Amino acid sequence: MRNDIFPASRCNILLKRLICLFILLLFSILPGTSRAGTEEKILQFWAMGSEGKLIRVLADRFEKENPEAKILVQAIPWTGAHEKLVTAVVGNLAPDICQMGTTWMPEFEAMNALEPLNSRLNLKNGLSEADFFPESIKTARQNDVLYGIPWYVDTRVFYYRSDIARSAGFNKFPETWMEMYKLCSEIVKAKRQANQPGYAFSLPINDWQIFLMFFWQAGGELFPQAGRETVLSIPEFGKTLEFLKRFIDEKLAPVAAGKDMDLLAAFESGYFPMFISGPWMISEIIRNKPALEGKWTTARMPMDKKYTSFLGGCNLVMFKGSPNRDLAWKFVDFLSRPDIQADWYELSKNLPANRLAWKDARLAQNSHMHAFREQLEDAKAPPCVPEWEQIADVLSGTMEAALFGKTPSGEAAEAANRNIARLMRVQPESMGKTAIIIAASAIFLLPLIFLVIFFRTGPGDGNRSHRTPPGMVLFFLAPAIIILVVFLFIPIVASLFASLTNWNLYGLSDPSKVNFIGFDNYRRLWEDPVFWVSLKNTLLFSLLGVPLNITLSLASALLLNRKIVKFKALFRIGFFIPVITTMVAVAVIWRWLYNPEFGVFNQILKTIGLSPLNWLSDTWLALPCLIFMAVWKGFGYNMIIYIAALQGIPESLYEAAEIDGANASQQFWHITLPMLRKTSFFVAVMTTIGYLQFFAEPYIMTGGGPLNSTISVVLYMYQHAFKFYNLGYASSIAYALFVIILAMSIIQGRIQKRLEGSV
Amino acid sequence: MIGFHLFLLASLILTLFPFVWMFSTSFKPSGEILSGTLSLIPISPTLEHYRNLFGAVNLFVNLWNSIIFSLVLTILSVILNSMAAYAFAKIQFPRRERLFALLMMTMMVPGQVTMMPVFLILKYAGLLNSFAGLIIPGSVSVFGIFLLRQFMMDIPEEILEAARIDGCSEIGIFWKIILPLSRPVIATLAVFTFIGAWNEFLWPLIIMLKESNYTLPVALANLNGQYNTDWGLLMAGSVLVVVPVILVFLTAQKHYMKGIAAGAGKE
Repeated sequence: MRNDIFPASRCNILLKRLICLFILLLFSILPGTSRAGTEEKILQFWAMGSEGKLIRVLADRFEKENPEAKILVQAIPWTGAHEKLVTAVVGNLAPDICQMGTTWMPEFEAMNALEPLNSRLNLKNGLSEADFFPESIKTARQNDVLYGIPWYVDTRVFYYRSDIARSAGFNKFPETWMEMYKLCSEIVKAKRQANQPGYAFSLPINDWQIFLMFFWQAGGELFPQAGRETVLSIPEFGKTLEFLKRFIDEKLAPVAAGKDMDLLAAFESGYFPMFISGPWMISEIIRNKPALEGKWTTARMPMDKKYTSFLGGCNLVMFKGSPNRDLAWKFVDFLSRPDIQADWYELSKNLPANRLAWKDARLAQNSHMHAFREQLEDAKAPPCVPEWEQIADVLSGTMEAALFGKTPSGEAAEAANRNIARLMRVQPESMGKTAIIIAASAIFLLPLIFLVIFFRTGPGDGNRSHRTPPGMVLFFLAPAIIILVVFLFIPIVASLFASLTNWNLYGLSDPSKVNFIGFDNYRRLWEDPVFWVSLKNTLLFSLLGVPLNITLSLASALLLNRKIVKFKALFRIGFFIPVITTMVAVAVIWRWLYNPEFGVFNQILKTIGLSPLNWLSDTWLALPCLIFMAVWKGFGYNMIIYIAALQGIPESLYEAAEIDGANASQQFWHITLPMLRKTSFFVAVMTTIGYLQFFAEPYIMTGGGPLNSTISVVLYMYQHAFKFYNLGYASSIAYALFVIILAMSIIQGRIQKRLEGSV
Repeated sequence: MIGFHLFLLASLILTLFPFVWMFSTSFKPSGEILSGTLSLIPISPTLEHYRNLFGAVNLFVNLWNSIIFSLVLTILSVILNSMAAYAFAKIQFPRRERLFALLMMTMMVPGQVTMMPVFLILKYAGLLNSFAGLIIPGSVSVFGIFLLRQFMMDIPEEILEAARIDGCSEIGIFWKIILPLSRPVIATLAVFTFIGAWNEFLWPLIIMLKESNYTLPVALANLNGQYNTDWGLLMAGSVLVVVPVILVFLTAQKHYMKGIAAGAGKE
């Protein structure tokens, strides 16, 4: 070997340095062994989001009172908290104490993860159940066993502009549904007369919490009797939908309710003089909109039959198997003390669950708090069932369909009843033993048979110019193959296996509850309308998005490849930056661009005299909006590939064509395009595979809505896997998609072969 | 000519607008962000969000974790993937093409479906809550092997033959010829892997239990309340995540652009 041909020496120095750095880094990644001894009494406490930061103040005070204790507070982001908690329980990594949303309680009880607390409560001089709001205690109880202690409560009240209500003739907030409706019509009438934009009321149309409040106010109940065909009060359900729909139909409330950033601005401008929200909003308004002081306040819900609102909040739970349960309880007890609860309110603006804390001046003398105190006496928590996430999904979907006018209210109520009843039905029984054996052996044999056939029918190995010792082959291949087998092939086969079982939340904690159900998941998939909708959306997304992406990237590559362009690198990087930026940042910005009230797109439409659109809340527009955004984010990648390919076309071809008198468009069609065929095939296949697995955009931007108009197959799978924990069903969705992608790739390959044959 | 450049510039501004807006928002006081107007230049610029950010997040620990995670993953993935790619590109062994086709097929299985099984495997291996568990499962990627193999296939066989005649071993060929010649495509893979790891959210969240092990995106997600969002803080955090990525990209840019096209040359 001659080193002057291969300047390896310089490279070697660089590589040596890299290796040193790598070894250094390797040491820092070895699994930590800093598991603390039990005598130190360390308490692991998980709290969510910003609360995980704020709780430190109280933890310090507890440590001062109890010098033997050391509290390790861990902040868990709200996004992903559910996934994090479930995986922690499955991995036996749960903390000693954790903050847990009230609607999550039943799932973790079903997983048998929580420590019963009955024996610790109602002791002399200790905490008693009577200290808490009764509805709030209910969220922590399952079959008379108490699994948590309410930490803070949360309810929803009306926020309204008292000045605007007054000019509409209301000196105080309406007490009844009919009066509230009248207030809204008066406000909107006044607006129309003054030629002002806006609505009366910001009503989210797919929010099960909002729906439940009005449903309860109408006298409705969920699960009025245990285990019957009727799981909800159908007439009241229909009546509630009918009532809410009037606000949309008469344009008292928008189809796209204000979210995020715009709500406060809209409240200030009077665009939305009323909205429903929780206690955190008080400090938000005071902090960000000081000019509104004296022009707004809060009010209890209006009634039809009752004044009921929604009760949420968080409980403190202890996990089974925690070594420091007594100390953990001491901390729970500490956090429940009235004075500490009032301090916690001051820190976090969360409402105390302990009723005694409400006597504290900081709460009692805050005029905006009165409505909350009053509302808490009549606030209801949703029923405690492990299937709650799915039921909530049905409620949101039904509300959306009815308010959009897709389904008449009465029909929607019947359908919701049917769907929820189906969810509650007992899981299918396991198959017979012989059937299991046949299924099990089939599932292990099938991949094996597939592999054997696959490897036997392959093309020949070509002529071997030299023999490489098998040891050498292993040296290069084994590390990668071992990792792929362990972390890719085995999981893939395992999930194929899972797709034939009813693996769900119960099975996660207790494997004996996982049963073979044969092809039931696939049968269910075949009959699942949402799956077909998601498939349609995915195909639509690919059919529109892939050509758009390729055209745009080819066009920009052609433009940037022209000799006259200056600052090529600048443009290349500029167009490429969206590709490398995290989706979270991109989503924030795009949601703002699509914002119906203040977004750039609607401002442009307004300036050229067109009426604004409801971009992401429109069932027809939402998917194109996401396609546009995905193409924007991704076209730079293919553009670079095309630029490189264009540079690889020999200049002589164009020179020859010019001599023959070919014009620019002829050159493009007869030289450029054919020369790019291989590149285009690669780009098309990779982009199609990527677009068929469309996930991040709808996950972050729309959550699949409105009315499932943007739900994709992978998003639907993700929801079943990590929201409802139907892991078996989720796997069957994944395999259905796999078959479709495989088929598409084969078709694309055939097309390419045919094209090659014809040229 | 000028019009053409103006057109390009306009589309560039359109493409970059969201980023400019993100930067400008991170310097606006909260009241101004929530005013409902979309001005690009902050009326009264402030550094409060950046100050708050340093107060709210243990920035240097999280930054260090992100760097370790992204860097070790990148190095490991370059080593392992290039070794496998070399075998697939230049070493003859039985059923090579079929094995490669099998690998390619796994790209069609949505990644999310393997998440729970991988988590359980890590649990049994005792690798949860460690950087090893975070890094190893992602250190070999089929796409990476594919990308490198496409490039390596174009390296002329004659060079390798000449080296073999000179008595160079397979390992020597790999080390002294293949790796140096594949520099552009390795740069591509490295940048891709680094950026992917840098932006990853759910996996580090699930694997890492201790807050002192959190990566930057996970720590930043903690800034959000359940219902309320501090937009200024979030934007300042996003700037912090995005800027290193852009820097990495810019420094590797020259190699990167060449390498990214390599995969497309051949089917």
